[in-house]
Amino acid sequence: MAINEKMIEEILNKYPAKVKRNRKKHIVIRDSARENQEIEANTRTIPGIVTNRGCAFAGCKGVVLGPLKDMVHIVHGPIGCAYYSWLTRRNKAKTDDPKKNFLAYCVSTDMQESDIVFGGEKKLARMIDEVVEIFKPNAITISATCPVGLIGDDIQAVAKAARAKHGLNITAYSCEGYKGVSQSAGHHIANNGLMENIVGEGDWEEPPSKYTINILGEYNIGGDSWEVERVLNEIGYEVQVVMTGNGSYEKLKNAHVAQLNLVQCHRSINYIADMLEKKYGTPWLKVNFIGIRATIESLRNMALYFGDEALIKRTEEVIEKELAEIEPQLEPYKKICSGKTAFCFVGGSRGHHYQGLYEELGITTVLAGYEFAHRDDYEGRDVLPHIKSDADSKNIPDLHVTPDERRYRLKIPVERMEELQKKIPLSNYKGMIKDMMDGSIVVDDLNHYETEEFIRILKPDIFSSGIKDKYIPQKMGIPTKQLHNYDYSGPYAGFRGAINFARDVAMGFATPTWNFIVPPWKDKPLLEGSIEQCSDDTCVEEVGA
Amino acid sequence: MPRETKHYRNVNENPCNMCMPMGGILPFKGIEDAMVIIHGSQGCSTYMRRHIAEHYNEPIDVGSSSLNEKGTIYGGSQNLFQALDNIRKVYKPRLIGILTSCLAETIGEDVEGIARDYLKQRGLDDFPLVAVSTPGYGGTHSEGYWLAVKKTVVALARPTEKHDGINVIVPNLSPADIREIKRILELMDIKYTLLPDISETLDRPIARPYTKIPPGGTKVEAIRRMPGAAATIQFGITVEENVSPGRYLQSQFGVPLYNLPVPMGVEATDMFVGLLAGLAGGSVPKTLELERGRLLDCMVDSHKYNAQGRGAVFGDPELVYAVVRTCAENGLYPAVVATGSGNTGLEDLLEPVLADCPGEVRFHNETDFAQIRTTCRETGVNIAIGHSDGKYLTEKEGIPLARMGFPIHDRVGGQRLLSVGYTGTTMFLDRITNTLLEYKHKNYRAAMYRKFYRNTGIEERGHTSLMGQAFGSEECPQLIPVLRGELR
Repeated sequence: MAINEKMIEEILNKYPAKVKRNRKKHIVIRDSARENQEIEANTRTIPGIVTNRGCAFAGCKGVVLGPLKDMVHIVHGPIGCAYYSWLTRRNKAKTDDPKKNFLAYCVSTDMQESDIVFGGEKKLARMIDEVVEIFKPNAITISATCPVGLIGDDIQAVAKAARAKHGLNITAYSCEGYKGVSQSAGHHIANNGLMENIVGEGDWEEPPSKYTINILGEYNIGGDSWEVERVLNEIGYEVQVVMTGNGSYEKLKNAHVAQLNLVQCHRSINYIADMLEKKYGTPWLKVNFIGIRATIESLRNMALYFGDEALIKRTEEVIEKELAEIEPQLEPYKKICSGKTAFCFVGGSRGHHYQGLYEELGITTVLAGYEFAHRDDYEGRDVLPHIKSDADSKNIPDLHVTPDERRYRLKIPVERMEELQKKIPLSNYKGMIKDMMDGSIVVDDLNHYETEEFIRILKPDIFSSGIKDKYIPQKMGIPTKQLHNYDYSGPYAGFRGAINFARDVAMGFATPTWNFIVPPWKDKPLLEGSIEQCSDDTCVEEVGA
Repeated sequence: MPRETKHYRNVNENPCNMCMPMGGILPFKGIEDAMVIIHGSQGCSTYMRRHIAEHYNEPIDVGSSSLNEKGTIYGGSQNLFQALDNIRKVYKPRLIGILTSCLAETIGEDVEGIARDYLKQRGLDDFPLVAVSTPGYGGTHSEGYWLAVKKTVVALARPTEKHDGINVIVPNLSPADIREIKRILELMDIKYTLLPDISETLDRPIARPYTKIPPGGTKVEAIRRMPGAAATIQFGITVEENVSPGRYLQSQFGVPLYNLPVPMGVEATDMFVGLLAGLAGGSVPKTLELERGRLLDCMVDSHKYNAQGRGAVFGDPELVYAVVRTCAENGLYPAVVATGSGNTGLEDLLEPVLADCPGEVRFHNETDFAQIRTTCRETGVNIAIGHSDGKYLTEKEGIPLARMGFPIHDRVGGQRLLSVGYTGTTMFLDRITNTLLEYKHKNYRAAMYRKFYRNTGIEERGHTSLMGQAFGSEECPQLIPVLRGELR
């Protein structure tokens, strides 16, 4: 069923007037006839709306820093936040040195009431000593939770002193939960910290191979990055570091040598991409390794960037080989999925990325949105100069980088850059809205109430989001697919990942379970029989009897 | 018992507990038509919703006042007011719980005062708004749970006419456990108010139409009438006085309190059933006698396997007490007993339970899994019993984990685990016994090889796990992982 403004109005009427006015700006019906459709995003969450958004700490420690495997990530604060960000994102990692993989560890100062009253700096300093002794990590991060900033613990100073004492890269991130309006603030804080303290710390001056790249904004959920790297390696690329899935301090510190940075999740990592370009002259390419077509396009764009005939040829060979492998496998799933509709509401980029893969399976995305994205993720980076900065965004300072005197090198000439930018998303992202079908809905910061209402109207065949909201549609009898942690499945990226995704989605439709939801006594009689026709006389008799 | 605390270290490495507001959410999910809000950053609500949803596989709605930087300077009452307005409008709850977070407490929010102001300003004199102060640094989720239950009772309980019902106050048990307790009460014709009742709300059947707040839960009206009850049975033997709802009802309203252990195991279930028979002046129904007989039969059948177990029991103090007692009844003596909570009574309470224990039992208060792991290794533990985070003991030390308690986030069915009453205990014991047996059979081949064929020139084949290599003899499996200390 198509949706119109009136229906949205009806949904919003349930809210108090002020809330209604606010939420209205976060919902857009796609209309390609209109040049630039605006949506409000990255503004304060309405209290009590039951949002799916998290906090700055979640974005910093939970998303960006957490996956770096050879570092110990200390959480300075009471125990809860450390516990809740302990292995919750399924970012996988393997390392050559089994003693240097600390992802399974949750390490916290576990502040108590006395620490809140008297300050926790000394405890933190003592704890860093212990962590160095126990784990011998390659580097340490310290992330702050709410009370730390409020009681005035100077974690930056503690980190600095510890750095001098241990001769280790120890950095602090003031990512208290109340900063900004969502986890997006935390991404920014983490980006700034990594750029300022780690990237470029290494002593490499030259890339280790002809085609050295970094993959930014790929967190290796369910092994996504491994599938992508498999294909890239086969073509002949060398991946210096993945930020930050399966990433490491050891690799990250030499990230500056890459000749191209790929950006998968624009929201969480565009700051670093931008800063790498300014500081080292390395452009970034917006890629999307979710979906077969998107993967192919990304690979071709990469080859085009390097412009090497042999590389272009090799790229096509690999694409052909991969397609031959997966296309026959995909067919049966397409038959099951074809003609279905989906909701696709994820964090800050997957809401866009998965639409293409759905389309390839014959599934139309009728509603999509982001939890914590900004307007540029919806409308494209062209909108950036027009975004008003508010008090919340000003609280997270932009890190102003300047070209590195020694290491800045234009990777491609300016003219060629301009020429390429016309063809491929080089240092640019066009956003989600432009890719959406007319009549489909874009919702920013979807909540429980709206989820339920939109499901009632649009009756999607599958709802793809996260664990907090997946049980709502399931209770309503609609299959779901978690796109945050993949329901413990994956990888979904690249060629082989697409098959996994198709299998999992098709299984959601095809499971016999749904057939039993309505009990037989609700929709058909348990006793079969027919009522005999009778003459008027006998019927009257029976009624009377 | 030698008591060890972690205070010789500053680092908490792999915690054995969560924070106070996490525990505070759960009781509000067991009250009819209730909603709950956390006053603080929205991350608190989001993280906790995520974790609770993963355990129960249910939608878990928790509002947030979404405090930001401005709120930290000017106070957050405006945000909380807005949150309350919006929750009331969209969810139409009949009770709202307000929990505080580290943030709200650190900036010194007087949440009870704000709640009073709100009711006054909105002209809602009778609306039950239960404010609970739960700073993340104030205790673990166990204390948060009990404080929320107590505050609910304090907020609602009013002097009422005496009636013949009894109050049943339960700790954080599974919905299946609550259903079993209710079944026993109903079998014995007892009128009761069970608080909090998550049996339907957090294990909700697929049913149409879908409602945002799940049906079920303790009725607000019934909580108001708790002071008129003939008695309170509280499964809260480890609960400290200051957070004990049963103690409050006793001291304020004179309701006699029977503070019992969770009815797990023969003795504790006997105590519960016996007390009910005494209160109701009736006899124990035949059904329960049969179930008791079956439990004993199960224990006789399994005792020879259980006696080979050396357990590590960890989790919420109340559940730890119940599990240790049940295991000890069956000859499975624990070597390590641990809780992340700073509960002061647990150790003393366990003293008589473990008086006959043949081996040393080491007790850890306010502990983390780093310490539990070390002690497990030192004492030769071969079965861990507790929540999912014990999987770390399996991954690092090869110790099998029988999942029990909250949270269980790496398996399904935590909400359906039945462990109380005679029937529940039987099922619990079977799970324990089978975990031991699976472990034994998995390593049987390797153990036999070592015993009879080592140095014979016959090559070892088949499954050999790290655990298998560690077996001293197949009769008495003591775990000494080969790789201990080499892999972190």
